[in-house]
Amino acid sequence: MERVVVTGMSLITSLGLNLEENWANLVAGKSGVSKITLFDASECETRIAAEIPASFDAMWGAYIKKRSADQMTRITKACFVCAKEAVNQSGINFEEQDKSRCAVILGVVTTANTSSEKNPQLQTRILKSMNNAMSAWISLEYKLEGPNFTVASACASSAYAIGLGYDMIRSGAADVVIVGGADSIVNKEEIEGFNHLYALSTENDVPEKASKPFSRNRDGFVIGEGAGVLILESEASAKARNATILAEIAGYAITSEAYNIMAPMKDGEGIAQTIAKALKNSRTDIAQVDYINAHGTSTMLNDKYETMAIKKVFGERAYAIPISSSKSMIGHTIGAAGAIELIITIQSINKGIVTPTINLDEPDPELDLDYVANVARNHTINCALSNSFAFGGHNAVLVVKKYL
Amino acid sequence: MAKITDNTRNEVKETVYSFFIEECEVDASALNDQTNIIRDMDGDSLMFLELIEIFKKKYQLNIELKTIGKYVVKHPAETVGELIDMTMLIIEHENRIVNLE
Repeated sequence: MERVVVTGMSLITSLGLNLEENWANLVAGKSGVSKITLFDASECETRIAAEIPASFDAMWGAYIKKRSADQMTRITKACFVCAKEAVNQSGINFEEQDKSRCAVILGVVTTANTSSEKNPQLQTRILKSMNNAMSAWISLEYKLEGPNFTVASACASSAYAIGLGYDMIRSGAADVVIVGGADSIVNKEEIEGFNHLYALSTENDVPEKASKPFSRNRDGFVIGEGAGVLILESEASAKARNATILAEIAGYAITSEAYNIMAPMKDGEGIAQTIAKALKNSRTDIAQVDYINAHGTSTMLNDKYETMAIKKVFGERAYAIPISSSKSMIGHTIGAAGAIELIITIQSINKGIVTPTINLDEPDPELDLDYVANVARNHTINCALSNSFAFGGHNAVLVVKKYL
Repeated sequence: MAKITDNTRNEVKETVYSFFIEECEVDASALNDQTNIIRDMDGDSLMFLELIEIFKKKYQLNIELKTIGKYVVKHPAETVGELIDMTMLIIEHENRIVNLE
């Protein structure tokens, strides 16, 4: 079986338009959450989000032809830009690859973002809103002839995409798979919808304090926009072209809770099963895990059950593993979250720094693990987990290791 | 049916060339009647529809896209020159283009 390595990655979030900018802000514990600007949210119960910086509008022109851009929504553009950056970082020249063995698999909930897209033209409406737009544009850009498709499993979508990409390479079906995801649901319909599910924070007065995973006063998640793309490659392919290897994807697990359309299974049972399966799949002992990038949404149930699940799987060792939530800073990027948070995890491995869970000022007495409160920490990481869980009972846990 | 003058083909050509220069961000010097729209310019099939809309307004043509579609299936236009030729036929015959062999 082929080993699967990461040779390129890039992300766009509310904290920046590239990996370096994001990393600096994440380590500094900055929040990307602010008042919503993409539409008039004055009538909404939640009026805050973690939007991609407005400077993105002046940036994408360097990566996307005008004609193509006219047929993309802003989140498709963000994904496309990320893909270009990730490919650039990987140094891969697809002209020297067997393009029939190069694929694109992306996680996305929606590319439409209708109410915040200005002047929609009827002729491009379908092209803009089709869910497969992102993978299709990337395939077109590099003339890749392997499969390109998107995966929709709500907030676990891009983690699922990464798992499927891993399988394609591991099984020998592909040499290179561009994986990741992008999402933007900062629009009136989605905000109102999530408000009616009591899923979003309504702390509008101090936006940067609204996302507070694992804290006693957490009151829901904050929607974030974002994109994250990684270049997965077989070790043989990466070595053959002397690529810099950033990390190894050691394995993963995806499961269905088959319990409830929205609520996680009681006491984190489903989450625990997924973590255990991922460890088994990657042949990882609990003693090897040095860091967990939590799903950590800042909702009452997720944070509680995720904590219980980690305790179930790791026992006493759970207390020795730093756990942090990127969502405390960049909000919940929905379909993009799995990819973005895996990229942050890989960066943590390579930099030896765990990014913090910010806004953890009032610990929840029930949640007593090490959540790396408020301040980043130097920490050697050889093996880490990245968790993603979703409405619909979609669970995903990715296991990533330092490449040795 | 639009009135076709000696100047019509020049107008059509100028419009088509300007359209591709703008939309495909290509240099005018790289464009000629043999240029392949998709292969050479990364163009797309939607461009044809947009051009038809432009000419429909410019010459007040009585045409339906589905009618043109029936003709295009039998006579695809792959190059800029072929597209100009087809546009001339559309201007000349409007919906009756479907009756052409």
